[in-house]
Amino acid sequence: MLKLLLKKQFLEIFQVYFYDAKKNRARSKASTAMFFLLFILLVFGLLGGIFTFLSANLCAPLLAVGMDWLYFALMGLIAVLLGAFGSVFNTYAGLYLPKDNDLLLSMPIPVSALVTARLSGVYLMGLLYSAVVILPAVIVYWITAGITLSAVLGGLLITFFISVFVLTISCVLGWIVAKISRKLKHKSLITVLISLAVIGVYYFVYFKAQSMIGDLLENATVYGAQIKGSAYPVYLFGSVGVGDVRATVIVCAVVAALFLLMWLLLSRSFLQIATSAGKSVRREYREARGRQRGIDAALLGREFSRFTASPTYMLNCGLGTFLMPLCAIAVLWKGRELFSMLDAMFAETAVSVPLLLCVVLCGLASMNLMTAPSVSLEGKSLWLLQSLPVEAWRIFRAKIRIQLLLTGLPLFLCIVCTAAVYPLPPVQLLLLLLFAGSYALLTALFGLFLGVRMPILTWTNEIVPIKQGGAVMITLLGGFGYTILLLLGFILLPGWTLGFCGYIGCFAGANLLLSVLICLWLRKKGVARFSAL
Amino acid sequence: MLKIEHLSKKYGEKKAVDDLNLHITPGEIYGFIGHNGAGKTTTLKSVAGILQFDTGEIYIDGKSIRTQPLECKRSFAYIPDNPDLYDYMTGIRYLNFIADIFDVSAEERQTRIRKYGDLFELTGDLAQPIAAYSHGMKQKLAIISAWLHQPKLILMDEPFVGLDPKASHLLKGMMREVCDAGGAIFFSTHVLEVAEKLCDKVAIIKGGKLIRSGTMEAVKGDDSLEDVFLELEGESC
Repeated sequence: MLKLLLKKQFLEIFQVYFYDAKKNRARSKASTAMFFLLFILLVFGLLGGIFTFLSANLCAPLLAVGMDWLYFALMGLIAVLLGAFGSVFNTYAGLYLPKDNDLLLSMPIPVSALVTARLSGVYLMGLLYSAVVILPAVIVYWITAGITLSAVLGGLLITFFISVFVLTISCVLGWIVAKISRKLKHKSLITVLISLAVIGVYYFVYFKAQSMIGDLLENATVYGAQIKGSAYPVYLFGSVGVGDVRATVIVCAVVAALFLLMWLLLSRSFLQIATSAGKSVRREYREARGRQRGIDAALLGREFSRFTASPTYMLNCGLGTFLMPLCAIAVLWKGRELFSMLDAMFAETAVSVPLLLCVVLCGLASMNLMTAPSVSLEGKSLWLLQSLPVEAWRIFRAKIRIQLLLTGLPLFLCIVCTAAVYPLPPVQLLLLLLFAGSYALLTALFGLFLGVRMPILTWTNEIVPIKQGGAVMITLLGGFGYTILLLLGFILLPGWTLGFCGYIGCFAGANLLLSVLICLWLRKKGVARFSAL
Repeated sequence: MLKIEHLSKKYGEKKAVDDLNLHITPGEIYGFIGHNGAGKTTTLKSVAGILQFDTGEIYIDGKSIRTQPLECKRSFAYIPDNPDLYDYMTGIRYLNFIADIFDVSAEERQTRIRKYGDLFELTGDLAQPIAAYSHGMKQKLAIISAWLHQPKLILMDEPFVGLDPKASHLLKGMMREVCDAGGAIFFSTHVLEVAEKLCDKVAIIKGGKLIRSGTMEAVKGDDSLEDVFLELEGESC
């Protein structure tokens, strides 16, 4: 039974790797293997690379002062934070919200088997997030300190303990989210606000990390002694990675006990949470004469309803919309000092503040990818759009418009606030606006292009098209790749010979050209594909 | 009103609909019966413009669904067997969305929403999200949305599934009203008693092929529709 459930769970998670929705048939083994390889390369190559760099910076200095355990404690805590932070909302959605919960609960399946199968998905997600931190840390340690039996065992055990600990924390947090969300009136909004607060704390720590690490490395022995004295469990936790047997036994017992407690909590409450409709606030219908809208306005309104109804959609595909106004406020608040500092810093180099602005705006806009999963999100209600007297192109336009509005307006706000504290020559300002606008248009069109080409319409959990869909992943990575190209192209290619205006003008021109090409594809082939879905 | 000519549709090697011909004139309630997988839903989806068919033609009010899909879609409403509506909208928002798409004036939509909402006892729930609706409530909402823009032709796939007896009775009355006003109804059903009492004409499909069609009297003669259906099913085995 459990084996069957596990198989179903993993098939669902990796559905896109095994099943070609476009051709409505299973992928070939080679194609599946290629997808997996690509995924591993992206996750471990990109994210793992960042943490390999961090580990390499920390490992040797800490080992030199005999603080091996502090190295593992630090990297382990980062892994736990990333793992828990990355999977908390997945845990809530993955455990309590799958559409097949009712179906499976109606079958002669023990609840414990169902919870175990669901937890396997959560575990995998947590393992993925934590492994991109702790595995590079362990490997760097082996390379730096030398490979011994205790180091190898310690490295493997700390990786395992962290993954179980992350699972425990994620489940407890997921349980809290489930409990709270069932009592909230405006669930979506509050979930987004809480998530944004968490993201804020994350970025605060991230930006402070450089100075904190520097400080830590300078005073490693002092901090080490303080942690050992006042936060002994952290010392024990770090000592596991070194291969300390006593620490390993104690940490193993604690992690196992916490996991058992979590299991008890979850198995006792799962049925009640998964099957209750929650405290629904019944809204009274008051008849009022509805305002008649045109078709385009109705379709745009529909897209807004879809976007604002789902915290998962808002957070994963619209983060830029929330971050850009915050950046605009930050620019008004601290912009003057920041820009004068940047001016001084880059006075002798080719990099200019307007170029950096473009890079930052580009990075922020790349976080918005509403169009990429929008076709997949139609899911089983796709029949409605197909049976209504509306051209597919008009539907596309509504999908593009929502992204343009939610990206373009905050981008414009950022540029206006920047211009207020850092006056730019009119030509540069115009080019900045043109570039930002053309990039927003390109990302919206590119996301939709992929969304039409790689739809997943048979999902049972909206996480699948929003987080695991190929369209979303390629759009996101494509956006970040573009941002890196924008910066490196100026320094290395060398774009600086063209000057800011020439360089950004070329990019804006390329954006517009690509947009026209994608637009043409969408109008001809895209609409035909959409109608045939 | 609806003319289906030599309609064929294959899924891979399997013929779902094979050279189907049907003609539905204004004022007719046309029942479409057949066993599971006979090709009823494929036919209805093809007529609704959701499914692209391989050969043949479908004309709605003289216009081809293949070459003039928008003009055709403006004149009909389609209700699928499983009304997967927009869970993220409230009932009233969904109805307003449909009314906007079909350009129903604010006054008219208000009147019709009140009328059908009260008839189906759904008015009180219109402010609730569709996600909180039961299957029957979703079905009622889909029916209201179909009647909201007063289409000439209504296509329904198993419309009585999930409806309570009162709502079923209401729906039958509404179907007759549409036809009395010069419209037409084309619907599939497994409930042969309903088809027998309600339909002016009936078509029986098996393995994608039309095996009998015509007026109810011509199809069933002195027997019950159930007897005729079972006999035909047996014959073609």
